[in-house]
Amino acid sequence: MAGRVTDGTNAAIGDVAVASPVGGGVWRTAPAEVLAPLAARRPPTSDPGELAAAARRIRRRAVEMVAPSGLGYLGQAMSSAEVFAVLYRAVVRHGTDYVVLSPGHYVISHYAAAADAGLLDEAALATYGTDGSWLESISTERTPLLAATCGALGQGLSVAAGLALAATLVGADRRTYAFCSDGELEEGQVWEAAMFAAHRQLTGLTAVFDCNGSQVDGPVASVTTVEPIADKWRAFGWDVHEVDGHDVGALVAAFTAARRTGGPSVVLARTTMSRGLPPSLRSGDTHFITLGPGDADAARRELAAP
Amino acid sequence: MTNDLRSADLLEPPWTTTTKPYGTALLELARERPEVIALGADLTRQTETDLVRDALPDQFVNVGMSEQHLMGVAGGLARAGRCVFVHTFGAFATRRPFEQVALQLAYPRLNVKVIGFMPGLSSPGGPSHQAVDDVALMRALPGMLVCDVADATEVRQAVRLLADHDGPCYLRLKRGEVPVLFGPAHGLDLARAQWLRRSGADDVAILASGMLVATALRAADALAAAGVAATVVNVPVVKPLDRATVLEAASGVRAVVTAENHSVVGGLGSAVAEVLAEEGGGPPLRRIGVLDTFARASSAPWLFRHHGLDVQTVVATAWGALGRPGTPPPADDVAVETGQYAPV
Repeated sequence: MAGRVTDGTNAAIGDVAVASPVGGGVWRTAPAEVLAPLAARRPPTSDPGELAAAARRIRRRAVEMVAPSGLGYLGQAMSSAEVFAVLYRAVVRHGTDYVVLSPGHYVISHYAAAADAGLLDEAALATYGTDGSWLESISTERTPLLAATCGALGQGLSVAAGLALAATLVGADRRTYAFCSDGELEEGQVWEAAMFAAHRQLTGLTAVFDCNGSQVDGPVASVTTVEPIADKWRAFGWDVHEVDGHDVGALVAAFTAARRTGGPSVVLARTTMSRGLPPSLRSGDTHFITLGPGDADAARRELAAP
Repeated sequence: MTNDLRSADLLEPPWTTTTKPYGTALLELARERPEVIALGADLTRQTETDLVRDALPDQFVNVGMSEQHLMGVAGGLARAGRCVFVHTFGAFATRRPFEQVALQLAYPRLNVKVIGFMPGLSSPGGPSHQAVDDVALMRALPGMLVCDVADATEVRQAVRLLADHDGPCYLRLKRGEVPVLFGPAHGLDLARAQWLRRSGADDVAILASGMLVATALRAADALAAAGVAATVVNVPVVKPLDRATVLEAASGVRAVVTAENHSVVGGLGSAVAEVLAEEGGGPPLRRIGVLDTFARASSAPWLFRHHGLDVQTVVATAWGALGRPGTPPPADDVAVETGQYAPV
């Protein structure tokens, strides 16, 4: 057992049928049938037009995933489409960097973006949320291509800090991206992780928060006061990049700057859950949208290529 | 198939004590295995991990007082290939971060060892510091190995055995002076409960874990002096429970007594009750432990006596379960000097 410490990483995604770039337990076995072949991998791009188109495809895929049952986390896909497009097509080095999905409800965006990057089989998306599917509606240990996840909110940033710490200890060129949501800021553990990452100067850690201002009971601001979010992260010692979360160019610039800091960095993506939705769906509860019979067609029209 | 007395190298009282058996063993392991990392949340000296901190600073991380975060960091390090030992007091390792232990360690079956110091009523700190439900909580988690060892020799052996066990574990450890009940030839086995006393014609079987093992041995001596033959079984691993040895111990005796430094709800007593009930037709069972109550902030000897975790209560319980008439025999108090150990 003695010997050099590695960071436990298996072969790159696509080279072998592994669910995740990390080890860890019997559940992370191979859903080979949902992974795309290596030849399907799309090259990274920073072109704003390409990334905007990728975000549009993510939204369309999300509508198709939700349409059969009418149930799913469509609003989450709408608010995070650009963030995931930029992460999966421009920022994350697949097979090298770690992706932690803290709010498991956003896994719909992960699936759609992973398909866009050519990591996940496009046809498998049709099984989203169906009984027995690999593509569960809230992410689990079975979810392909994630280093870690949680459905119980507020836990992901700590796990990401552990992954980033492990990479730092062995000097690995491996970044950790933690996708989080603004509602999670209400969980105390997030701030435990914030203090720790700054204290340890975890340069390899970048968190991105989807600040869509929405939680189950309504607007976040109506439930409690999480603002000023940027000031809080600055006060905790993080490098803060606050951007329009639907502006792909601004997101690319923010993630690029975040890589160059000498400590943990956070991208605060200001978004709205109604982005890309037809007018009929923009009001009401966008946190958990029920897609009625006519709604899917209206959404498809709204998201048709310009 | 049966586990005989030969694997137990049981020493005669008065038992000596030692300090920092855990920290010493962990440091030795960490020197051999660079993938081992010791995590803590304050309480470094109290969890004996100052030894690792001072000798191998690159294999020690203090995350501060943040137990929920602690378990998340442990999960991240384990997912990246580290063998992670997590340290705090048992009450803090299992109550506040229960969800994090469940979802970030147990569910992914990561190679993380949660070490909870100050088990049960060994803490004078009152309900906030007394881990009387930690075994119950950890036992409820799928895939979690739950271990409560009896002495310093088992502590040392447990460190290595847990490191070799690829999966999540919970180990509860006495803090400070730790008794030495077993000699160097002792063989702790995570899959086996171990016979410590056995005549072949026993009246009662006492199944004990952790700090109550020494208590059970002394109780067996007192019972023997009054003509009652008692089997004593050391059950260091409460989950997965060595079902075969439990059933073997229960067969042929007229009563079974469990003894644990923990609530009678959800710990060793419950685990044994489940096995005996499923098997059916066994002897009556009596459980010694904290009787579904919160305790006070007082000294451990006072608490152990007050809550019936003492030798005399084990004797009286066995006596009563066997339906013996008259007063149970007295358990002699053993005078101990500094550096010696005797259960109350």
